[in-house]
Amino acid sequence: MALTAGEARLPRTVDDDVARAAQGDASAFERLYRTHVARIHSLTRRMLGPHEADEVTQDVFVRTWQKLGQFRGDSAFGTWLHRLAVNVVIERRRTFAIQRERISDDQTALDLATVGPARADLTLDFEAAIEQLPPGAREIFVLHDIEGYKHREIGSMLDITTGTSKRQLHRARMLMRKYLGG
Amino acid sequence: MHEEWTDKLSDYLDGELEAADQAAVEAHLRECRDCSAVLNDLKRVVSRAQGLDVRPPARDLWGGVSARIDRMASPRRISFTLPQLAAAAVVLMAVSATLAVTLLRRTETPNTIVQAPAAAQAPSTSPAATGSGTTDTPIVERVSLADAQYDAAVADLEKAVKNGRGRLDKATVDIVEHNLQIIDQAIAQARDALAADPANGYLSGHLVEARRRKLDLLRRAAALAESD
Repeated sequence: MALTAGEARLPRTVDDDVARAAQGDASAFERLYRTHVARIHSLTRRMLGPHEADEVTQDVFVRTWQKLGQFRGDSAFGTWLHRLAVNVVIERRRTFAIQRERISDDQTALDLATVGPARADLTLDFEAAIEQLPPGAREIFVLHDIEGYKHREIGSMLDITTGTSKRQLHRARMLMRKYLGG
Repeated sequence: MHEEWTDKLSDYLDGELEAADQAAVEAHLRECRDCSAVLNDLKRVVSRAQGLDVRPPARDLWGGVSARIDRMASPRRISFTLPQLAAAAVVLMAVSATLAVTLLRRTETPNTIVQAPAAAQAPSTSPAATGSGTTDTPIVERVSLADAQYDAAVADLEKAVKNGRGRLDKATVDIVEHNLQIIDQAIAQARDALAADPANGYLSGHLVEARRRKLDLLRRAAALAESD
């Protein structure tokens, strides 16, 4: 059905772009990408580190393109995309078989963690401090304190107990406190 | 600093403690300046984490995403059209029939016909080729008929296709199943022939090819079921 002049002037919404992209419209998908890439890249960078962030971010959007047909609108597109991104990151970790080692309760990582002096640029310093966290503690810190997931949800995502999630979060916070000169 | 208390501070901060533990921590905090200072530091860490801004990547990643999605079908498009699948089935039937005839003829001939001596072959760096100094010993790479990795991969893909079967239309399912039947038949024929002539390189090659073709078809069917 052809659009009327009035309809054609209506601003595009995310829902429009999701619907168009699901039908194979790459331009609509690019608009979705540009809207969400900063958040997804920040998630992958904080969870996996800067070296893997670009590649995994691209993986996330390719996977999104493949799965757009499954998006039913039960939640906001951004929420759905974010959860998909978390799953891609977790799969990545599992693929390299490092998940369990990094989630262990071993105190070695904490004991060996180096404590750097606080820098002038506080925002960058905070991001840099996150990168210094042992991977297991880091991903739980990112998921809980930055992304707002509950311990129960994190336990389910990472296949760990709620208790382990809590202990790793506390470890991460204590390390962050040290990194930031506390 | 008292670790038995500080260890509870994150749970306290997040409201995760039972009432009794929470009261005990609060009582301790009223008396302990060190632990109160740690709690304040943890609050600052959490507050800053919650206030972090997102940052875009340093370089534009869209080009890579675009190139990859260009190479695949759009989410609602089927990778193979019905005529394409039908044509594939016809080709497979023809190939299978030809091979069946060939197999029967070949299994009745001596080994030297199916595999040339090492000296007559093009130079090779494979261990089998370099390890032979004679001209009358056939160099045949045996096929493992009990390849656990292959069987596991096939089983996984068959499961994926079975699970995704509901998302494929009936005609597609029929064609995929028919093709699998043909390939399985070719595999069975090759295995039987190899049982009678285990050193036959031609039969080994045919079996490897049929197994590869089955894996390939299953992969495509699984991808169709997933993407549709």
